[in-house]
Amino acid sequence: MNKNFFGMVIVLVISLFALVGCNTSSEDAAAEEPEATSSEETSSSNENETEAEEEKSGVVNLYTSRHYDTDTALYEQFTEQTGIEVNVVQGDGDELMERLDLEAEATEADLFITADAGNLARLKEKGLTQAVESETILNNIPEKLRDVDNEWFGVTKRGRVIVYSLDRVDPSELSTYEALTEPQWKDRVLIRSSENIYNQSLLGSLIELNGEEAAKEWAQGIVNNMARDPQGGDTDQIKAVVAGEGDVAIANTYYVGRLANSEDPEDVKIAEQVGVFFPNQETTGTHVNISGVAVTKHAKNVDNAVAFIEFLSSVEAQEAFAEGNNEYPVNPEAKASELLNSWGEFKEQDIDLTILGTNNTRAIQIFNEVGWK
Amino acid sequence: MRLIQQVKQQINIWAILSSMFILVILLPAMLVGKHFFAKPNENWLHIKEYLLLDILSNTLVLMAMTGILTTAIGVSLAWLITVYQFPLRNFFKWALILPLAIPPFIGAYTYHGILNYTGVIQSTLRNQFDVQVEQKYFDIMNIGGAIFIFTIFLYPYMYVITKSFLENQSSSIIENARILGGNSIEIFFRIILPISRAAIIGGVSIIALEVINDYGVVKYFGIQTFITAIFQTWAGMSDLDSAFKLAGTLMVVVILLLLFEKFARGRKRYSYSTSKIRPIIPKKLTKSKAMLASGYCAVIFCLAFLIPFAQLFLWMVMTYDKIVTVEFFGLIKNSFFVAAISAVIIVIVGVIIANYTRIYQGIYAKVISKVTVIGYSIPGAVIAISVLSIFVALDNYLLSVFNYFQMDPLIIFRTSIIMLITAYVIRFLTVGYNSIESGFEKIGNSFTEASKTLGVSTIGTFFKVDVPMVKGAIFGGFILVFIDILKELPLTMLLQPFNFFTLATRAFRYANDEMVSEAASASLIIIFISGICIYFFHKISEKGSEK
Repeated sequence: MNKNFFGMVIVLVISLFALVGCNTSSEDAAAEEPEATSSEETSSSNENETEAEEEKSGVVNLYTSRHYDTDTALYEQFTEQTGIEVNVVQGDGDELMERLDLEAEATEADLFITADAGNLARLKEKGLTQAVESETILNNIPEKLRDVDNEWFGVTKRGRVIVYSLDRVDPSELSTYEALTEPQWKDRVLIRSSENIYNQSLLGSLIELNGEEAAKEWAQGIVNNMARDPQGGDTDQIKAVVAGEGDVAIANTYYVGRLANSEDPEDVKIAEQVGVFFPNQETTGTHVNISGVAVTKHAKNVDNAVAFIEFLSSVEAQEAFAEGNNEYPVNPEAKASELLNSWGEFKEQDIDLTILGTNNTRAIQIFNEVGWK
Repeated sequence: MRLIQQVKQQINIWAILSSMFILVILLPAMLVGKHFFAKPNENWLHIKEYLLLDILSNTLVLMAMTGILTTAIGVSLAWLITVYQFPLRNFFKWALILPLAIPPFIGAYTYHGILNYTGVIQSTLRNQFDVQVEQKYFDIMNIGGAIFIFTIFLYPYMYVITKSFLENQSSSIIENARILGGNSIEIFFRIILPISRAAIIGGVSIIALEVINDYGVVKYFGIQTFITAIFQTWAGMSDLDSAFKLAGTLMVVVILLLLFEKFARGRKRYSYSTSKIRPIIPKKLTKSKAMLASGYCAVIFCLAFLIPFAQLFLWMVMTYDKIVTVEFFGLIKNSFFVAAISAVIIVIVGVIIANYTRIYQGIYAKVISKVTVIGYSIPGAVIAISVLSIFVALDNYLLSVFNYFQMDPLIIFRTSIIMLITAYVIRFLTVGYNSIESGFEKIGNSFTEASKTLGVSTIGTFFKVDVPMVKGAIFGGFILVFIDILKELPLTMLLQPFNFFTLATRAFRYANDEMVSEAASASLIIIFISGICIYFFHKISEKGSEK
């Protein structure tokens, strides 16, 4: 037993080195054959490392908070077209941002993909992005969905809408986000916790449009009208509308799309029992947000990174990328999915999305002050 | 001359290695200290005014309630299984450990999936019987729900610890009490509870630490605790100072808890008086009582394992073809290797430190043994942040060295798996160390001393006597660490190298993105691998007590 145990230890320690070799070379190694590379690595690691440096032109390294199966298929398509390998770290958007910040100049990441303009604006504010010059990208992505200095670009678009019960709510009763604070909605409004960036950005946009005072009043008003303490995600709010816990929910469009396209027949039934209402059509417009991409300040493969964004903004990729999460494409040439089209066109908030980043900290503080859990 | 000899005695390979490992563990703690005493900023005042009380009370309520309930369930099960004979006892004996295979965060989203509006219970009631139920009775996403989840998935720690204590220590005491005419209830309250005090406190402190450090359940349920607040302050507000202040506060709580544990355990040491232990002879229960005992075990087993397992299985069938692709097998490989390698390193380090602190009795050795435990008190978030900062500095330093020699860098640590493994080792060393230390504690020093008296060197004794005698404890420690790493979330999410995904991170990302059924396949594999490990763990401890 004693000898066996140490034999096992030795084998595992050796495999540790093999694994390390395999991972350091992951930039150049084709993902399909890690075993082959790792054995080469251990036998002649010096030679291989120098090779790895030379071949670096063939990769682009990506930090992303998106993780849909369609994304992976798109990366493969990009590799097929350009020969550039895509290496991915998937994680929480905020945490990856801090990781990028801590790594500073030493980072290996070339691209950063995350949901919400508020996050992208913060990224820029921290000095972690760089401006990109590319006619293709500027042509593909409308001005209002990208940074003023072209340091980040929206790649998909979603609206934060009112989802209402078809049984109990007549859409004519609905008008604006602000109207949900009126007494008639007492104990009827469902919305998730303030910890969530979507709510933070919504409040951030209201701070910009209505002023801080009015935004705080709005937050207080929503808290007063909540059907229950915030819990769960947007999907849970929509389900709670159908279950009768409340009558209206504030949620992102793609959550409705996801329920409608679910494998679970019960989910599909939920989507059939709710309506989607785009608020503030007569006034400031519905809050829209993006998920977007930026080239990092200290990117080592800038050309490849730009090529990647060009690819993502192309009509072909846009349709697949947006549909992967039931979102709207940002490229006006690309078509949204059938379901999204069935909801019709709508007026969007006309604000510089950068503002959402600027107002984020204040929004979090207001939420805490009014006791929005 | 004597002084030199003494110093020589103190400075040896064991001391040097132990000190090195301790230094690595202490680095994050020192970083916390540095920020903890920095001047508070505006954010910190905001946190103190609006959040601190909430997160403190949430954390304490979760800890206390889970501690009480797991003790009640764990100890009662251990008692039933060790001293009575009833139908299916041999099956329950190990099946009741199985819930440990289900990471609490997976249990949490599974139960939410079962109970919510589109879940199997409500949709059956609605579609078959046309019954609409009041939602609040099916609401699990609150602090009560979290306590339920932690209780049913963490009680096995208490069960295993008290069971092995009762099996190993109590046979003569219980038999004497029986002969003296005590009835079962009397024996349980007047004898079993007092003598298992140390085991119970040990179990409670493990469970409390698991609850404190949980990231998945509380984040999914939206409950503010120290861990979520630390992440939110750091990542949401970009405020490292305040995040580390929160972490420091939490560490104070944890260290108080550990001190309490030491204090409550007292000076009692139970080591074998002989190298043979006598097992308890289980008493046969009357028919109705036996049914009751089996029924109780069955209820716990269903709630904590069978029901969530069945639900996950259904979901897996639903999403199987979409999820299980070639890439999926990569996840299994990653999870398995990183857990196995880290566990081996932890066990080796643990054995070295435990052996050092056992043989060399000085103050320094005592300090080392205490410090080892600190790793467990540092929140995972803090370890992640510290390790990342340290490796950035290390990489930059290496880069400058290589540049000086005009060479390309041979390795960038951050893009390798070394960074992640280092973090795991710091985080979970205590788990492995505790198991090994208690193994050494049980055999005492007499065998080692006998071997040395017979002229074998310390290192020779280590390999020929010590390690073989505690190999059960070593393997037990390995398995506990392996399972912990398989389930680990915050470190893995933050420190993963490129293209490195694990089963746990994949399951969590799906579930957190409200795609619960897609998370089932990865979850089931985690449960399956952990289940096998637990089975082996059980076999080893069985063998240990038969010896």
